[in-house]
Amino acid sequence: MTDVTFLASAALPVVIVDDHSIFRSGLRAELDSGIDVRGEAATVDDAIALVIELQPRVVLLDVHLPGGRGGGGAEVIRDAAPAAPNTLFLALSVSDAAEDVVSVIRAGARGYITKSASGAEVSTAARRVAEGDAVFSPKLAGFVLDAFGAVAGETAIATEELDRLSAREQQVMRLIARGYAYKEVAGSLFISPKTVETHVSAVLRKLQLSSRHELTAWALERKLL
Amino acid sequence: MSRPRLRLIGGVCAGFAQHTGLPVGTVRIATVLLALCGGAGALLYAWLWATTPSDSGDFGDTLPKVSLTRAAAPGSSAPRPRPAAFTADAPRVAATATTAHTHAASAFAVSAASAPTAPTVAARAPAVPAPAVSAPAAPAPAARRPVPLVGIVLGAALLLTGAALLANRLGASISFALVIPTVVVLVGVYFAWRQFADLRSGAAPSSSAAFVRTLGALVLTALGIVLFFITGANPSIWTVLAAAVSVLLGLAIVTAPWFIRLSSDLADERAARAREAERADIAAHLHDSVLQTLALIQQKAGPHSEAARLARAQERELREWLFVGAGDERDERVDLATELRRAASLIEADFAVQFDVVATGTVPDEAPEPLLAAAREAMFNAARHAGGTVSVYLECGPGGALLSVTDRGPGFRLDDVPGDRFGVRESIVGRMRRAGGTAVVGSGPGGAGTEIVLSLPGTPLDSPREQAHS
Repeated sequence: MTDVTFLASAALPVVIVDDHSIFRSGLRAELDSGIDVRGEAATVDDAIALVIELQPRVVLLDVHLPGGRGGGGAEVIRDAAPAAPNTLFLALSVSDAAEDVVSVIRAGARGYITKSASGAEVSTAARRVAEGDAVFSPKLAGFVLDAFGAVAGETAIATEELDRLSAREQQVMRLIARGYAYKEVAGSLFISPKTVETHVSAVLRKLQLSSRHELTAWALERKLL
Repeated sequence: MSRPRLRLIGGVCAGFAQHTGLPVGTVRIATVLLALCGGAGALLYAWLWATTPSDSGDFGDTLPKVSLTRAAAPGSSAPRPRPAAFTADAPRVAATATTAHTHAASAFAVSAASAPTAPTVAARAPAVPAPAVSAPAAPAPAARRPVPLVGIVLGAALLLTGAALLANRLGASISFALVIPTVVVLVGVYFAWRQFADLRSGAAPSSSAAFVRTLGALVLTALGIVLFFITGANPSIWTVLAAAVSVLLGLAIVTAPWFIRLSSDLADERAARAREAERADIAAHLHDSVLQTLALIQQKAGPHSEAARLARAQERELREWLFVGAGDERDERVDLATELRRAASLIEADFAVQFDVVATGTVPDEAPEPLLAAAREAMFNAARHAGGTVSVYLECGPGGALLSVTDRGPGFRLDDVPGDRFGVRESIVGRMRRAGGTAVVGSGPGGAGTEIVLSLPGTPLDSPREQAHS
């Protein structure tokens, strides 16, 4: 994570990567004024070139993309991230296959949001990602609880443990899965919103680094929606 | 005629006695005596054993009682008289015996045609039984109609032997070196085609039985053909060559059923794969185009508008077809998560509400009815009183099931509800209590809206399933 900070007044430079032009233009029109769409790309190759050229703060990235080696959004992240160190990726998908979403997150995306989310929601999520937070949809939180065995009662003992969630992280994920906003999670657990964000980021890190087989094996069989 | 389950050897005598009304003892003694007369009784026994079906346990068998009595009566006195009676009756007897397990679309049209006449020839000119041997080696294009070939072949083989034995007894000199291989070949072919019939009828025979039968058929056929030529005339280059060719031909005939089976399986599989690929194509296309458009409509129209609601309902339906339907169409059982999603789409059709259903854990196959009913009621309440986005969260763990319905409406207090209103008090709280669970109605996150938490201990994990359609 970088320490580049943006003034609240400055528009957030964003690139939209999606192979459907209707969706790109629709999303562009819907995003609020705090978002500055610098460019659009439709294929893996275009996206990599564009991201490296423009160095946007946030890339709204479709999970399924044509071109490249067939790796879709995950391939864009892997190939573009080294050359664009200050760029963060937010996965955007109609796909509900956990496999797709998890593969993009493990490639380095900072969050996942469904395409049916409103323009305002996407804008908020993009800003949150830009500030260094992770964005978890209720569905992704539910999947994380499942994949890390939290539902079956597995709890991490040490904080640095990668393959299980700590009790606090489980509580946070449960509330997010129940549709709570971060602020509401904080209120319910009597902790500060910043602490909630820390927990969510920790979970995201585990999701990216864990070698737990369920993350890939279960993802193949399950759907997020 | 059928062979009873309670039997000494093959149940043939008992079945015969039952069919004709003769005492079993008499029949058995007659059979033994006949068997002593050059083995005729034993052969007849073997033939009946092979061709009559085993009693399936229920009486009142509807198999047509062909003139077996007439055919068997002369046979029981001696194999000598009227072979014509046998030739006329054999196919019909065989028909009744083999329809049960033979769909064998016969490739033996030639032999089927010639088989009934072969015994006659053999009876008239016992010295030349050879023509019958050529029958199995001359396959013809498959006839569509099932022919009771198996019985005919076997009957012909046995008749041939019987006739030869008889002729021998009467003084004619018959070379058993020719007769025995013929019989062996015919029996081998019979086994092969019986195997084929099993394959065709779809009955999966136990692998060991199939193996033994296959091996038997192959060995018998090969052995018979080799015997025929080796023991026949003076071995010369031509007889050996003919023997080799005959063995190859015989093997081809015996193994033909498996090749046919293999190729038809292959064709079926190809067709299935083509269908699967086509379906995947359609799914991919719908996924790319229609789902994207529906997502866009929802985004453009604002979260709670009519258009968004319709688009969402369509999206849900399409997803179900694409992902759930494609995976297991036969799976009629519906788990709790799927039931909740169905309830959500039904309620969404009537109210300006959007449900976000998240299910975790191993969702049980059988939806616990009280929990589902209470959840439906809670969702319905949320839709009616709050609207907007409502989160439904289901967690099924070792301790039981927990289900929460969270809305962002104006809030709701159980105490404020008049006692005569049944909605929440009875259909949610009461129902859960009767099922051994609890229902807690409270205010939602941040003090806004309502949250109903239902929990049901234990039961849901009775039938855990790894793969929840969540």
